[in-house]
Amino acid sequence: MSVVTDIAWGTWFSSLFLLVLGLVLGSFAGRSAAKFMAQRSTRHHTVMVRRLVFYLIVLLFAMAALREAGFSLEVVLGAAGILTVAIGFASQTSASNMISGLFLLVEKPFEIGDVIEVDATIGEVIGIDMLSVKLRTPDNLYVRIPNETLIKTRVVNRSRFPIRRLDLTVGIAYAEDVERVEKLLLGLAEQNPVCLEEPKPFVLVTAFGPSSVDLQFSFWVPKDKVLDGRSGIMVGIKKALDREGIEIPFPHTSIYAGSHSEPFRVQLLGPETIANKESVDVDQDR
Amino acid sequence: MDSESAGRDDGVWALPYTLASGQTQYHELGQVRLWVTLLDQEWQVRSQTLGADTDPVTWSQSIGHTLPSADVQLQRFIRSGESETVTFIPAVASLPTVIRPYHPVTIPAGGRCVIYVGTVVWMKVCVGESQSVLTEIPLGTPSLTWVGRNTMEGELCYSSSSFARLVLEAVPKRPWRAVTPVTIVNRREEPLLLERFSLPTPLLSLHLNDRGQLWTPGVTVVCETEMNSASLNVDTKLLPAAGVCQRVGPAREEMARGRLVRAFDRIFG
Repeated sequence: MSVVTDIAWGTWFSSLFLLVLGLVLGSFAGRSAAKFMAQRSTRHHTVMVRRLVFYLIVLLFAMAALREAGFSLEVVLGAAGILTVAIGFASQTSASNMISGLFLLVEKPFEIGDVIEVDATIGEVIGIDMLSVKLRTPDNLYVRIPNETLIKTRVVNRSRFPIRRLDLTVGIAYAEDVERVEKLLLGLAEQNPVCLEEPKPFVLVTAFGPSSVDLQFSFWVPKDKVLDGRSGIMVGIKKALDREGIEIPFPHTSIYAGSHSEPFRVQLLGPETIANKESVDVDQDR
Repeated sequence: MDSESAGRDDGVWALPYTLASGQTQYHELGQVRLWVTLLDQEWQVRSQTLGADTDPVTWSQSIGHTLPSADVQLQRFIRSGESETVTFIPAVASLPTVIRPYHPVTIPAGGRCVIYVGTVVWMKVCVGESQSVLTEIPLGTPSLTWVGRNTMEGELCYSSSSFARLVLEAVPKRPWRAVTPVTIVNRREEPLLLERFSLPTPLLSLHLNDRGQLWTPGVTVVCETEMNSASLNVDTKLLPAAGVCQRVGPAREEMARGRLVRAFDRIFG
């Protein structure tokens, strides 16, 4: 009974109260800061400021709570240092991810809302957190990529710049007039409102393929019109080439099994010819 | 409007038209055909954009009960209140417009010129006395272009080819095009070849005169040393030739300093 009465409940309650107050105030201040920033800044910066404000306030209140509970801050910080080393050894991966996350924030290769490509995964960045980055893929999957992976691997930011160039490969038959096709393709780009007038679209002859002359048709589109641009112009190319009677060839495959597998010749002979019949053989025809 | 069966009249900007439930107002202007229908509970707006090769001259409108075929794009809006009026308000382009003369003009050193430029406007379909906007339709098919030092720095703009007419009378006045006088002053010691320039359309307000023509305040571009450091100023008054005008469309953007500095940088691309 004396154990229970000996504990300074008042001190602990006030510490706990300070901690809870810190969480509530931090959350409130973070949300207010986010609301203020939302009109004036990007989603990425808004989230960063919100977290910073939250963690700062919670940290201050946590320190105050520890003081209130009677802990000396020097001792706590020293213990935290030793603990950090111990935890660091025990959880290298997590520590590595956390440090990688800091580098990502400083280097800023992408922001929340950007579309990035990591290895074979393409998606919109929906969160940059302490340990990982979260993506939403075009087919609506949630992908979590550890920060360390993002530091180590090649990351392609597909929406960093406002415009993108699309390169389409168009194959035409060898009999067709390349310059006529070039003029037709450039005319398509001019008519399509999604294609930018400048930088100018262009057509290159890239290869004499096995069954076609390969052209590269390149044009620029705003970054948010990539799908419309690609699909719309490909439909346009098909229609225009069909309309103009320009052949889009495709590879033809002929299967040749050799002369020995040719079918045997079969000849029906009447009774009158049976007596004079000749030996009919495939090889004799040669 | 009493012209329900009497055929078509000329359409007018900023004039409230009153419809009865079930009626449809049909408009033909620019490259757009537009049907606005009033029903008991909703407004319906149908629009169709024609090919760029069409070159209509007038804006005709009629009120009737005819609707287009079902393949015309339909937008539906809930009617709030009992308002039965629809008003068409013009609006300037939301992006700067790059003007590219068909034949480039050279301004000699120390010279100046005034080029009259016509840019396509957007039509805001507004209903009720408060003129709440239902939708906004471009009255021409705008094509996009990029203006900047490279493909990383710059901004998206609309593009418009122009005859760069130097005589105001020669400029065709269409109800769906706003005329902007652009004064270009070349203070350099070398001639200035004007192949294209970026007109900051979002900064311009729209004004309607008694002949149904749309005008914007003039723009003055002064080229002091390099083309990239040209300065731009939007006039506060309209050209006297515009006549008596009423302001029908505000500028889309405030003339903030930051925005203007960007315009200076990219005025000649």
